[in-house]
Amino acid sequence: MSKNNRERASLATGAAGVIAATATAAQSDAVNALIAGIRDTSDKVRTQAWLDAGQVGAPAVIPLADVMRDDDLEVARAAKRALWKIVRHAGRPRANKEKRAVEAELVELLGNDQPVSVRREVIWMLSEIGARNAITPIARLIANKELREDARMALERIPTKRAVQALRYRFKKAPKDFKPNIAQSLRKRGVEVEGYPCQKLVPKKQTNLKPL
Amino acid sequence: MKTSHPLNRREFLAAAGVAAASVPYLMPSGVLAAPGRIGANEKITMAHIGVGGMGGGHLRDMVRRRERGQVHIAAVCDIDEKRLANALKTAGPGVQPYHDYRYILQRKDIDAVVIATPDHWHAVQMAHAAECGKHVYVEKPACCTIEEGKAMVAAARKNKVSVQVGSQGRSQPEAYLAHRYLVNGNIGKIRRVDCFHYPSPEDNNPVPDSDPPRELDWDMWLGPLRWRPYNQRYCHGVFRWLLESGGGQIRDRGAHVMSCAMWWMGADGTGPVTVEATGTAPTKGLWDSAVLMDVTYTFENPDWVLTWRQMPNDQLPPAEERTGNEPGGKITRPGYGAIYRGDRGEFIHWGGDGGTWIEKKAREWQPPAGAKDVYRSPGHKEDWFNGIKTGAKTIMNIEAGAGVANLCVLGNLSYILGRKLRWNQAKQTIVGDPQAQRMMSRPQRHPYHL
Repeated sequence: MSKNNRERASLATGAAGVIAATATAAQSDAVNALIAGIRDTSDKVRTQAWLDAGQVGAPAVIPLADVMRDDDLEVARAAKRALWKIVRHAGRPRANKEKRAVEAELVELLGNDQPVSVRREVIWMLSEIGARNAITPIARLIANKELREDARMALERIPTKRAVQALRYRFKKAPKDFKPNIAQSLRKRGVEVEGYPCQKLVPKKQTNLKPL
Repeated sequence: MKTSHPLNRREFLAAAGVAAASVPYLMPSGVLAAPGRIGANEKITMAHIGVGGMGGGHLRDMVRRRERGQVHIAAVCDIDEKRLANALKTAGPGVQPYHDYRYILQRKDIDAVVIATPDHWHAVQMAHAAECGKHVYVEKPACCTIEEGKAMVAAARKNKVSVQVGSQGRSQPEAYLAHRYLVNGNIGKIRRVDCFHYPSPEDNNPVPDSDPPRELDWDMWLGPLRWRPYNQRYCHGVFRWLLESGGGQIRDRGAHVMSCAMWWMGADGTGPVTVEATGTAPTKGLWDSAVLMDVTYTFENPDWVLTWRQMPNDQLPPAEERTGNEPGGKITRPGYGAIYRGDRGEFIHWGGDGGTWIEKKAREWQPPAGAKDVYRSPGHKEDWFNGIKTGAKTIMNIEAGAGVANLCVLGNLSYILGRKLRWNQAKQTIVGDPQAQRMMSRPQRHPYHL
């Protein structure tokens, strides 16, 4: 590379760095503004904030999950709705890069460090946009008694063979009391399951009331 | 090999006489008629699933029909013990109470069920009832997802049961007059139908989650829905204001007003090619259905536009003054209806459910010789009974009911996603939007599934 070319390359790298830093700063500003709006005491301001959240995208996912744990019910609810707005915006046609970025952030929220309420919501968000990278993290939650039913349903919804494979694998590993649930999903996805007949028409709960 | 033959009436009665002392249940009406059909003069043996709110109204109506000798009432069911106890009082002696509707479906003596549970239960219970050979009256909206609607249609067809969806506006006296007026070209070619409705409510009294009341089985109330803690603002009647369970005004009343539109436009079995919705969100509380809403459905071949608009009360069209002597009486619910716009005039109706009121010019129109006539429902339940006894298609059959519900579902989906949707009616699918396609179905909690 000639000296001139090296200088040009160096300048270009520097410019890209500045642009990236500027973009990051802009993203950070947008996230901060969103979170401030979500935490606002005014119902109207909070509502407008979550309605506008879609454009902020993946960088806001984890900060919003934190706010979902807020003691103020309406603030927590606004954060949840903002997160859903991001998922619905990122899931639009021809926005695959955004969708995958949001998916990656959501997957980060499936760990034990998050409360069940947040993880349950995130599982359902991934049921709408999750793909390859979400399947194993969701499938692992089938081992969690509080989340396994949501995880099972999310995998049922993800329309890939890999999701069916994960359900098959978890069916083998599942405790006896949960196998009928996974069998339900497998049947839904066209897999024949033996030994765990469908339970949908089996009545279970009696009333104590008697005829007059 | 063991063989069997159908009993004739005399053999059946002899056998029934022997068995009567040990079998407490009623005779299945179909046994005395052609196989699978109930005789024209036989009483239909009914059970009611969901007996609060609308369900309570259906039960009271059926008690009156029992007094007229039309039906037996064999069972009532609810997952709220207080509601169940009240229903027992209404239904009277000899009616068996149930907590779990599946016990009702196991009873061979029951011919038909009336399902008036929250919307998220309609599809599952209707499909299960059909699979058990029961005829079904199911409250509107028929379904909450596209997949549910498909399953309901498939279950009814496969099991050859008569289904009536509770969009009873089609069966109202003035609905017949409107239909006849419009199909005879009185306002010319209709290119646009604008439905109007007052806003969905906002929750002005949000409360935190809590333990459910002792009389309520929260797990079974949720049924197919994903589990969440109980909150007073989910039920009973207010489930309508949640997108997941009730879908807001568009699914509650849209299933009435748009039902009339599809019937009168001759559009049952057709669907839009695009759906685009916008709306305003509630500013607090659990309820999340759109407060104000604008939805535009475009249809092709023939080309027409259907709109659904939830608007401020002061923008609603004024209701017609009436004496009360009209076929539908006074207009008691003026806050919703539709304006039909033809190339030679306009026509307006109010209501569209248990009350359907049309403007004077259509009410008083006298058909000239050679005018087209249209089907005149004898009443929504009578039309259903006729379907049960003869196999005739009901006026709001499940294909039509699911078709109308699909309009409501697609409107809400477009609102939720914030984008226009394209719909392929022949394939019953959303086109070109993988996320929306996933949302055409909603996985259901074990074991409450289709």
